[in-house]
Amino acid sequence: LRIYNNYLLFLVLATCLIDVSLAFAEQTDIAVYFTASVIAYLIITALFIYFSPKARKTLSFVSIVFLAGFMVVAILKIFEVMRW
Amino acid sequence: MTNNPYRLLGIGLTIAGAIFAPVAYFILNSIPITAIALSSIMIGFTSIALATARPQISPEASQLILETGMENIAALLEELGLSNKAIYLPSSMRTGNAQALIPLSGDIDIQRIKGKIPRRLIVSYGDNPSDMAIAVTAPGGTSLKKLEIKPGPTSSEIEQAITYVLTGLLDLANSVEVRTSDRQLNIEVKGPKLHYENVWYYRCMGSPIASIVASIASDGIGKPVRIKEESYSNGKSIISLEVLG
Repeated sequence: LRIYNNYLLFLVLATCLIDVSLAFAEQTDIAVYFTASVIAYLIITALFIYFSPKARKTLSFVSIVFLAGFMVVAILKIFEVMRW
Repeated sequence: MTNNPYRLLGIGLTIAGAIFAPVAYFILNSIPITAIALSSIMIGFTSIALATARPQISPEASQLILETGMENIAALLEELGLSNKAIYLPSSMRTGNAQALIPLSGDIDIQRIKGKIPRRLIVSYGDNPSDMAIAVTAPGGTSLKKLEIKPGPTSSEIEQAITYVLTGLLDLANSVEVRTSDRQLNIEVKGPKLHYENVWYYRCMGSPIASIVASIASDGIGKPVRIKEESYSNGKSIISLEVLG
């Protein structure tokens, strides 16, 4: 399906752009790469509003999983800051 | 199940990412390469999710079913010698599925339509004995069921509903643009997969894309519409709908 192909293409381009940009910025924290990719994923998924209800449902599940990962990273960072 | 390209791509990306991420992190000691491996896992999961949402019926099977239905209606129209353009009725003027009305003789005067058109093949729409027509369920009729919210009367609401059905659900076009003028709707469908052909069925009912567009537009504006003109050029289908009543 063309809409699926376009969506995946946008995701690939966005994650590649983020990874390359952060690598050039000499970022060495993997959590930063992951967080930026999750934010890009959530934005792109929200922009594709014409997905079928079934596709939206399954993508929402994946979004929740990634968001949970993002929350874990955020909580770990908060603990790290509090320890200082 | 295994010939689903999205599933194959997803599994491939996830496995490759899962193998490469620890290698890049612990052995190569490279954070950017580890990030690429993580991105690969993310896109892999997304692709697997899309695979489960893909329609179970193959495009070839769908085309076969569509063509069979169209052949049956075309045979009926040719046998009855009906060449008038079909009128697409909004939900307020019909019972059951969305219908297209083809008059048995002459043209339909919309003002003569009394009450709701019953769910039958041959229907009487007015008081005169000659006010007879055949009511068929056009390809666009069933697509109305797929809409979660009934479209509104503005061009942007109709455009959203048509884009949702043609692009998001049926993958029949790339994008849709709707412009309204006095008693006319001009719809530009970019990248259509089904084109207009100069055959009896299409002359009467319109192409499947025009039929979908007419059904949704009719339901949106709440008035009957007729496909006035349909053309294809430069990768675009241009459909003109006449608003009746």
